[in-house]
Amino acid sequence: MNRGDAIRLVMAYLSADDIVVAADGAISRETYAALDRPRTFYMLGSMGQVGAIALGLAMTRLERVVALDGDGNFLMGASGALMIGGVRPANLFHVVLDNGTYATTGGQPTVAAGMDLAVVAAGLGYRWARRCLSDPHAPGAVAQWLAAPGPALLALAINEPDEEPAGRIPMTPEAMARRFRAALEEP
Amino acid sequence: MSPSRWFDAATRSGVDFVAGVPCSYLAPFFAACQELPPTAFLRATREDHAVAACAGAWLGGRTPLAVMQNSGLGYCLEALASLHLLYGLPLPMLVSDRGTPSDFEEHRFLGQRTRALLDLFAIPWLDGVRGQEDQAMDWLLTTAARGSRPAVVLVGPEERG
Repeated sequence: MNRGDAIRLVMAYLSADDIVVAADGAISRETYAALDRPRTFYMLGSMGQVGAIALGLAMTRLERVVALDGDGNFLMGASGALMIGGVRPANLFHVVLDNGTYATTGGQPTVAAGMDLAVVAAGLGYRWARRCLSDPHAPGAVAQWLAAPGPALLALAINEPDEEPAGRIPMTPEAMARRFRAALEEP
Repeated sequence: MSPSRWFDAATRSGVDFVAGVPCSYLAPFFAACQELPPTAFLRATREDHAVAACAGAWLGGRTPLAVMQNSGLGYCLEALASLHLLYGLPLPMLVSDRGTPSDFEEHRFLGQRTRALLDLFAIPWLDGVRGQEDQAMDWLLTTAARGSRPAVVLVGPEERG
């Protein structure tokens, strides 16, 4: 499974009301390419803040909030994941696409390649945390994750080469933010 | 009335989400935050996570306030630059003004550059004045909302609370 496959798999399991925060870099661009929806917030920068932004949303909203994260981003913001473990919002669902590298910047390995991030999340206080290493089990793992008590973290192993890079998202950052907030204001 | 004039001014002006890292200058403020509902107060691990959570809360429809010591501004710069300033997200910030000449030496280097740092990042700021917390908080929320950007009220040793 490559990163695009994983993103399409996760998006296929989401419902229309779900709020998504997509990590900056390739994940945001490929999430946009897979399925653009007004209830997705596309990060362009502020690496490491996926969990903190999702937590601010989860504390504010009743809907399910899905943090679509990468392993390098998760490692940078691990102290934000710690806040999720402390606050324990039941509506926060965190998925980490784990390829052991900084893929957006050229595939440099992280310091924690191979580390079981589900064990980390369980230690931080997430109510449910699993790691999925095998592609045939991935759809079942995603279904279990979204049915689990939140906060729940699923670490999905990405073990196949990236697709052709997705293009930049053709919206201004201001337009992205205004569209997202307006979508949440709708009854 | 809470033990904190800043807290009372914040709630009166419409703040309904607080995220921050404590400073002793703002100890009464953080004590008052204990009375907030659990979904309205985030005890952040770092100041950059506090401002990022405030971005999430604003996108979710709340009126957030980030609270911190000025030593935490450095941690925030990347989040402010590529989140709030990039997307145009309002962010009222209440920041303690450490580093005055009588303060401990560890606060001085950044403390003496706080206003220059805010100017460099085009973030409007106002010196808090004791007894005028309501006016300062109104300025803060209005400036952040109208400019769709961060804004800062500085809380010095004479304005702590």
